[in-house]
Amino acid sequence: MSGLFMAATANLPAHAAGQSTVTVKSTRDPVDKSYRKMIRGMERFERERAFAPNATLRFQLLPRLPNVDMRGITLRVAGDTVSVPVPVDEHNFFVLPRNGQALQEDAAVLASRKTASMTWRARIETPGVPAGMRRLGDLRLECRVGKEAGLVSNSSPLFGWISDALDSPEGVCTSPDGNYLFFAERPIFAVTLRAGERVETLPFSMLYAGGDQTPDMLPFCDCQVLLDRTYYVPLWDASWPDDTLVEFTYMVDAPAGVTP
Amino acid sequence: MKATLILCAALLVGCATQNAAPPGVQVPAERLQQTVLAGQTTKAQLLAAFGPTKNVRFDSGFEAWVYQSPAGDGRFAEFVVLIDPAGIVAKTRTRAPAPAP
Repeated sequence: MSGLFMAATANLPAHAAGQSTVTVKSTRDPVDKSYRKMIRGMERFERERAFAPNATLRFQLLPRLPNVDMRGITLRVAGDTVSVPVPVDEHNFFVLPRNGQALQEDAAVLASRKTASMTWRARIETPGVPAGMRRLGDLRLECRVGKEAGLVSNSSPLFGWISDALDSPEGVCTSPDGNYLFFAERPIFAVTLRAGERVETLPFSMLYAGGDQTPDMLPFCDCQVLLDRTYYVPLWDASWPDDTLVEFTYMVDAPAGVTP
Repeated sequence: MKATLILCAALLVGCATQNAAPPGVQVPAERLQQTVLAGQTTKAQLLAAFGPTKNVRFDSGFEAWVYQSPAGDGRFAEFVVLIDPAGIVAKTRTRAPAPAP
């Protein structure tokens, strides 16, 4: 309501309203990513490297709505006076630069797409993990960094504050009820954990956002257009070591000679 | 007030997780193995043989259906069927039941 009022009065000449002029240099969508929060996520990565001692951290942009064009996205850190371009590669990965001025100005991280059209994730990768697999310790740290950085773009106006209250990195990343979603590279049919001789396939309930998303619910999940790539892993289960490998069976097999 | 509502939410979650059997129609493993063949069995045949079960339909047109096969001691093996956009079973897999506690 107040937004409507502000929009309506914004077009009036300042003298007509009897007020002094205020120059607004930029407006921020409240859903845009906070630079400070993303830096906090990077600091958490440094603090908790024990999960993935040799890993690197990047961030990734992912589609959140149908028909969003994920090619040629540009990204920048934007404060009141500072604007720092952030290179994005062809797979929409990027490394966030540190900038003291942007931190001071509580900058936002802005992409050249509508905010609600994309979601974001941390991507932590230990060198030497076999192609097409992930390492559980990397995923454990991705969850902590992702939650700390405020990357998940779910949207539930009704239950938002409840989920926020239960939504700390500790709550989400260390509990069997934690709901941090990961996305595979392609649509998955099965996910299998391998730790030495121990091999277990994850239950159906850990794929496809639990398998319970109805068409009415999907728009609130940032898995909306990635449902067939979505999986949970037992981040909380210490019986699976950090070096556990997460292996994917895809719905459609890769052609012979192509890395899965 | 907020604490009360969080407690209510937690109780609701508790109620929602009290089901003993995992979701999906229960069918003996042998029957599934004999009836469901990748590249041959159709969605209509699955429905006729076992009725509707828990499933997820994707924008790509693929569907994943899941059945539960009783394995004794209250445990279940999971049989998952991938149906392609043409309505033909593309893949199947079986997840062994969890070890008895």
